[in-house]
Amino acid sequence: MAVCVAVIAKENYPLYIRSIPTENELKFHYMVHTSLDVVDEKISAMGKALVDQRELYLGLLYPTEDYKVYPSYQLCRYGYVTNSKVKFVMVVDSSNTALRDNEIRSMFRKLHNSYTDVMCNPFYNPGDRIHSRAFDSMVTSMMIQVC
Amino acid sequence: MNLEDVLLSEITHRLTVICRRVCPFLPPDSGTSAGFQIVIVFKMSVPDYMQCAEDHQTLLVVVQPVGIVSEENFFKIYKRISSVSQISVRDSQRVLYIRYRHHYPPENNEWGDFQTHRKVVGLITITDCFSAKDWPQTFEKFHVQKEIYGSTLYDSRLFVFGLQGEIAEQPRTDVAFYPNYEDCQTVEKRIEDFIESLFIVLESKRLDRATDKSGDKIPLLCVPFEKKDFVGLDTDSRHYKKRCQGRMRKHVGDLCLQAGMLQDSLVHYHMSVELLRSVNDFLWLGAALEGLCSASVIYHYPGGTGGETGARRFQGSSLPAEAANRHRPGAQEVLIDPGALTTNGINPDTSAEIGRAKNCLSPEDIIDKYKEAISYYSKYKNAGVIELEACVKAVRVLAIQKRSMEASEFLQNAVYINLRQLSEEEKIQRYSILSELYELIGFHRKSAFFKRVAAMQCVAPSIAEPGWRACYKLLLETLPGYSLSLDPKDFSKGTHRGWAAVQMRLLHELVYASRRMGNPALSVRHLSFLLQTMLDFLSDQEKKDVTQSLENYTCKCPGTMELLTLPGGPTLPPVPFTKLPIVRRVKLLNLPASLRPQKMKSLLGQNVSTKSPFIYSPIIAHNRGEERNKKIDFQWVQGDVCEVQLMVYNPMPFELRVENMGLLTSGVEFESLPAALSLPAESGLYPVTLVGVPQTTGTITVNGYHTTVFGVFSDCLLDNLPGVKTSGSTVEVIPALPRLQISTSLPRSAHSLQPSSGDETSTNVSVQLYNGETQQLVIKLENIGMEPLEKLEVTSKILTTKEKLYGDFLSWNLEETLAQFPLQPGKVATFVVNIKVKLDFSCQENLLQDLSDDGISVSGFPLCSPFRQVVRPRVESKPVNPPEGSKPGDPSHVKTLEAILNFKYSGGPGHVEGYYRNLSLGLHVEAEPSVFFTRVSTLPATSTRQCHLLLDVFNSTEHELTVSARGNEELILHAGECQRMAIQVDKFNFESFPESPGEKGQFANPQQLEEERQEARGLEIDSKLDVHWRIPSLKRRGEASIEGLLNQLVLEHLQLAPLQWDVLVDGQPCDCEAAACRVGDPVRLEVRLTNRSRRSVGPFALTVAPFQDHQNGVHNYDLHDAISFVGSSTFYLDAVQPAGQSACLGALLFLYTGDFFLHIRFHQDSASKDLPPSWFCLPSVHVRALEAPA
Repeated sequence: MAVCVAVIAKENYPLYIRSIPTENELKFHYMVHTSLDVVDEKISAMGKALVDQRELYLGLLYPTEDYKVYPSYQLCRYGYVTNSKVKFVMVVDSSNTALRDNEIRSMFRKLHNSYTDVMCNPFYNPGDRIHSRAFDSMVTSMMIQVC
Repeated sequence: MNLEDVLLSEITHRLTVICRRVCPFLPPDSGTSAGFQIVIVFKMSVPDYMQCAEDHQTLLVVVQPVGIVSEENFFKIYKRISSVSQISVRDSQRVLYIRYRHHYPPENNEWGDFQTHRKVVGLITITDCFSAKDWPQTFEKFHVQKEIYGSTLYDSRLFVFGLQGEIAEQPRTDVAFYPNYEDCQTVEKRIEDFIESLFIVLESKRLDRATDKSGDKIPLLCVPFEKKDFVGLDTDSRHYKKRCQGRMRKHVGDLCLQAGMLQDSLVHYHMSVELLRSVNDFLWLGAALEGLCSASVIYHYPGGTGGETGARRFQGSSLPAEAANRHRPGAQEVLIDPGALTTNGINPDTSAEIGRAKNCLSPEDIIDKYKEAISYYSKYKNAGVIELEACVKAVRVLAIQKRSMEASEFLQNAVYINLRQLSEEEKIQRYSILSELYELIGFHRKSAFFKRVAAMQCVAPSIAEPGWRACYKLLLETLPGYSLSLDPKDFSKGTHRGWAAVQMRLLHELVYASRRMGNPALSVRHLSFLLQTMLDFLSDQEKKDVTQSLENYTCKCPGTMELLTLPGGPTLPPVPFTKLPIVRRVKLLNLPASLRPQKMKSLLGQNVSTKSPFIYSPIIAHNRGEERNKKIDFQWVQGDVCEVQLMVYNPMPFELRVENMGLLTSGVEFESLPAALSLPAESGLYPVTLVGVPQTTGTITVNGYHTTVFGVFSDCLLDNLPGVKTSGSTVEVIPALPRLQISTSLPRSAHSLQPSSGDETSTNVSVQLYNGETQQLVIKLENIGMEPLEKLEVTSKILTTKEKLYGDFLSWNLEETLAQFPLQPGKVATFVVNIKVKLDFSCQENLLQDLSDDGISVSGFPLCSPFRQVVRPRVESKPVNPPEGSKPGDPSHVKTLEAILNFKYSGGPGHVEGYYRNLSLGLHVEAEPSVFFTRVSTLPATSTRQCHLLLDVFNSTEHELTVSARGNEELILHAGECQRMAIQVDKFNFESFPESPGEKGQFANPQQLEEERQEARGLEIDSKLDVHWRIPSLKRRGEASIEGLLNQLVLEHLQLAPLQWDVLVDGQPCDCEAAACRVGDPVRLEVRLTNRSRRSVGPFALTVAPFQDHQNGVHNYDLHDAISFVGSSTFYLDAVQPAGQSACLGALLFLYTGDFFLHIRFHQDSASKDLPPSWFCLPSVHVRALEAPA
C-alpha cells in the first residue's frame, strides 16, 4: 500500500527515503519535498495546542487524485510528526483498497517505533542518514502489502 | 487527475534529457510524458492571473498605440496615464478606480455583461503624427481601433504627438495634441476629464438600469456561450422573468460597485443571489456570489489583496479609518430584509437599504461563498477562466487571512482546471503565477516546484527558440524554496543541511541552463558549487562525470574567484574548492638551521622591555603568552625561501591533479612560488610544502592558499576551513641577511655527528689522519645571497670525547679571510683551518704490555759514557705480535674526533637590525695511530745541563716510516716495529713558565694546577724535541708527541736544577769538554753558584778531589804527588739569596801530564738536608795537563 516512505529530519532534509518504483525515485523526492509545506503548516497550526494533547498523526496532506502516468495508482500523501519534529511522510497507493485512517495511523506508529529503535542504537549519530537493516526490512514489509 | 504529478513526470522526463546532456550517468528514463488531450472551444480563453477581488470595482480602460509609436515613448505615456488610477468624483464621497491595460483580448470583452469590470469602457489611443497630411489617416486608424471595443465603450480619447499647426489648434474633446513626448504636462488632467466623462456614462447607465420600471421588459443578459441556448425559450414565463431580474440585479450590483457605491452593490448582490438561486441559474448565481464576496473583501480589506496594485490603491485611499478594521472577524452580518425584495420587479429605490445595514459578509463567509461560487462555475466547462480567476482571487483573500491550508485547497483546485490546449507561453505564465500564489501562502517548496516547472516550460522541446535565459532566471528564483544558497560559505559550517537529491538536480539544471544561454562562466561556477557542496552526496561515478564535464567547461572558460553578477542583479560568490583537496593541517616551517636568523644579544637585552621598570612581571609574561598563540616563535628572512607545510587529503576516487598551489598572505609582500601536485585516489594525509619568498619585512600572516583544480582557480582562506589545525599563521619577517655557502677541500661525509650534539650541521666533512698529522682544511666561503657579507665569526666546538687531546685540534687565522670582507654577493673567500690530531694511543694496554719488558730501567744507570748508546738499534726487539683483532690500522685502534665549526655571519639590513646567521660545519676526523712511544726514560749526559732522552718508538702503521728528532738522523721503522731512540736534550728550566698558570692557581685546585703545569712542560719538551715521523710511501708526515708519557721522574731528570753550578777552569767554563792546561802552571779554579730557587741557600763547603779514571772501573784518588793545591782544597760559599750569585776561587798545579778529573764534593753537614740531591749536581771537571812547550 505504501509506495514511498520517507523520514525527514527536523531541519527538513531526508534521513531516509525509499520508494517502490525505484526507476523514478526523483519523482518521489519532489513529491515528499513539496508535502513538507503542508506538514510545516500543520505543525505551526498545531503549535498552539497543548503539547501532551498533540496528535502526532497529521492526516492526509494532499488528496487522492488520478495519476495518469501510473494509472493503477491513486496516490495520497500522509504525514506524521514526532515530538522531536522528525517527520514521516508516506505516499500511499489507495487505488485498490480504500485505506481507513486507522490503518494509516497504525502504519505510522509502526514506523515510529522502528525509528525509535534506530535512535536507540548507540552507534547511530542523530542527523545521519539511516542505514539500518531492521528499519529497512520494516519499511519493506509495509510496502510489500500492496502487491 | 493530479495535474501536478503529470507535470512532474513531464518535467522529470525533460530533466533527464537535459541532465543526460550535462552528465551522461543518469539511468535511462522510462517516464512517458502525458499529454493533454482536452480541446475545449470557448471564447473567453485568456485568464488574467493578476486578478484580485478589488478589480471588480474598477473600470477597464485600454491604452493602445496606433501606427508606429516607439515602445519607449508609449510606455512613458502609459505610465503617466496609469498613475491616474483613482478619482474622487466631484461632490460625492465616491471614488472611482481605473484599471489600465495596454493589451486586452476583445473576446474577453464579450463577457462584459457577466462581470462589468471585464468590459472595456474607455479607450485611449496614442499616436505619432508629424504632418497635417497624415492626420486624416491617423484619425481613421483611431476609429478602426474604436470599432474593436465599440460595443462596450463609453468614451475614447486620441493623444496625438508631434502634430502642430492648424489642426492642432482646433479644440476637440476626443483628441489631444502634444508637440512631443516631453512637452505634455496636461496628460493627467486630460485623463481626469476623461474619467469623469466615463463616470457620467456609468452613472447614467446605473440609474437607467436601476430605475427600469417593473412593467418594462427586462432584457436577458447572457454570456457569449449561452446565447444559442435561449433560442426559442418562452420569454413570458415567470421563470424566465426571474432569471432576467436576477441577472439584471447582479449587473446593477456590478455597476454600483464600479460607481463606488459599495453598500448599494451589496444589497443588489444579495437580492440577485436570492433571485437566481430560486431559478437555478448557477453560472450567474456564482457571479452574484462572487460579486458579493468582492464587495465584502473591498469593505474588509481596503488595503487590497492584490499585492502591489492594492498597496498603491491604499496609498490614495480615502478610507484610512476602515483600514484599521481589516479582517474584522465578527463583522455583523445583517441579512437583507426579505421585504426589500419585490416579487414583481426591482425595487427602484435602494436608498432604503443603504442606510439600514451593512450587508457585508464576514471573512469566514467570504470564503464559503467563494467556494460555493467556484463550485457553480465548475459546472460550466466554458467558464473555466472565470473559475480560475475566482480561485486566484479567493487565494489572495485567504493569504491575507493567513489561512494557508484552505488557500492551498483553492490552489489545488485551480491547478486542476483545464482550460484548453495552452500555448507554451501561457503555460509558463500559469505555472509562474501558481508559484507566486504558493509563495504568497508560505508554501515555498510548492512554489519552487511550480517555478521549476515554469522554467522547464521555457525550454520545452516544442518551443522553437528555447528561452534558456528565462529558464535560468526562473531556476534561480527557485533556490530559496529548495533552501539552497549559492554562497559556499553557508555550507562550510557543519554538515550539509537540505534535501541533497533535489538540490543536486537543481544545480545540474542551472549548469545546463547557463551553458545553453551561452554563459560558460556561470556554468563553471555552478558546477564548481555542485562539486564543492554536494561532494558527500555524489557517488564515485558521479564525481568522475561531474569533474569530467567541469574540465570540459573550464578548458574554454577557466573558473575564477571573481564575483559573478547575474543579469537580475544578484551576485554569485566565488566557490573555492576547499575540499579538493581537503586540508587538515597547516604548519609554518622554520628556516633550516643554517639559515635561521638569530638575534644578537645586545648589552641591554631587548627582551627587557623599556615599557616596564621590572625585570619580570607576571602581567607581561601573560600578555606574551597570548601573543604567542597567534605569532609563531621564529622568524622568516626577507628574500629567503620560506616554507609552509600542509597536510592534504584527496577525497576523490581518482587521482587529483592540483596545479598552481601557492600561499595567500598578507602583511608583507610575498612572492609565492606555486607548486603542482598529484594526489593519489583517496589518499591518506599527504604532506605538501608550499614555498614563497617574502619581499619586504614586517609581520606576515598566512591567510590561506590558492589552487587550480580542474581548471578552477580557488582562493581558500584558512578561516573558512572547518577542521583545520593550525599552529599559528603569523610570523615575523626580518630584513635580508646574506647567505653563506661553504665548500671544503675535504670530501663530504656521510657520517652524521653524534645526535647528542644538539647542533644541526649543514655539511659534514670527514678526514682520516694519522696521529700527529696536520692537515689543512681549506674552506671556501661563498656568499650566495643578495646581501654583502660583512661580519664573520668562527668558533669551534669539539664534541665531548673521552680521549685526551693534546695541542690545538683546530687552529686558524681569521685575519686573512676577514681582509677579503665585506664579501659581495657571488664572491668567494677562503678560510684555512689546520687540523692537528694528537692523541694518546699508548694507553692501548695490549701494546704496552708487549713492549714493557725490554729491561731498560729509567733510573739507576751508572754514569758511564752515554754516547755509545745514542742510537742503539733494538734489532733484538721481538716483532710485536699483538693479539688477534688488534693489528695496526684495525678499526678498533681508530679514534674518532668530531668537532663543529660555527660560522656566525651577518651583513646587509639584517645586520643593522642585529641578526646573524649561524652556519655550522661538522668535522669528522678519524685518527689512526702513527708512532707512539711505549716508554720514555732519561740518561744523564756528560754535561749537567743536558741529558739523554730514551724513547721507545713503535710504528703502529702498516707502512714503513721514519722518525727523526731535531738534529738527529732518521730512524727507519718497519710496520709494527719498535725501536729505541736516544735524543740528547738540554735540560729545561721549567720554573720560568709555570708562573702564569701559577696565578690562576688561586682558583684551580692543586691537582688541576699540577696537570696544567705538566701539560705546559710537555709542550715545551715537545717543541724542543720536535720529533717527526714520515711515511715516505704515503708522503705523509706528522709530529710525535711524548706528552702523555711524561711522568714525574722523567720530568725531574729533564729539569734544570734551581741551583746552577758552574766550574770555571782558567776562567773558561768547563762542562763536558776537557780543559787543557800546562804542567807546572797553576790552574785557576772557580766554582760559581747561581741561585734560581726562591729561597736563600747555603752556606756550602766544597772539597775538590782529583782522580784519574783508568777506564777499567778503577778510579785512582791517590794523586797527592801529581797534583798540588794552591791554597785549600776546600771551598766555602756563603749563603746565596734568591737570584743571587756567589763564587769561590782556588788554584791547582798539575805536576805531570795526564787526564785528570776533579770531583767536587759537598761536605755532608753543609748540604742542607731539605734540598733535593739533584740540586747539588756539579759538573765533573776534566782537565788535560799537557807538556809545557819547550
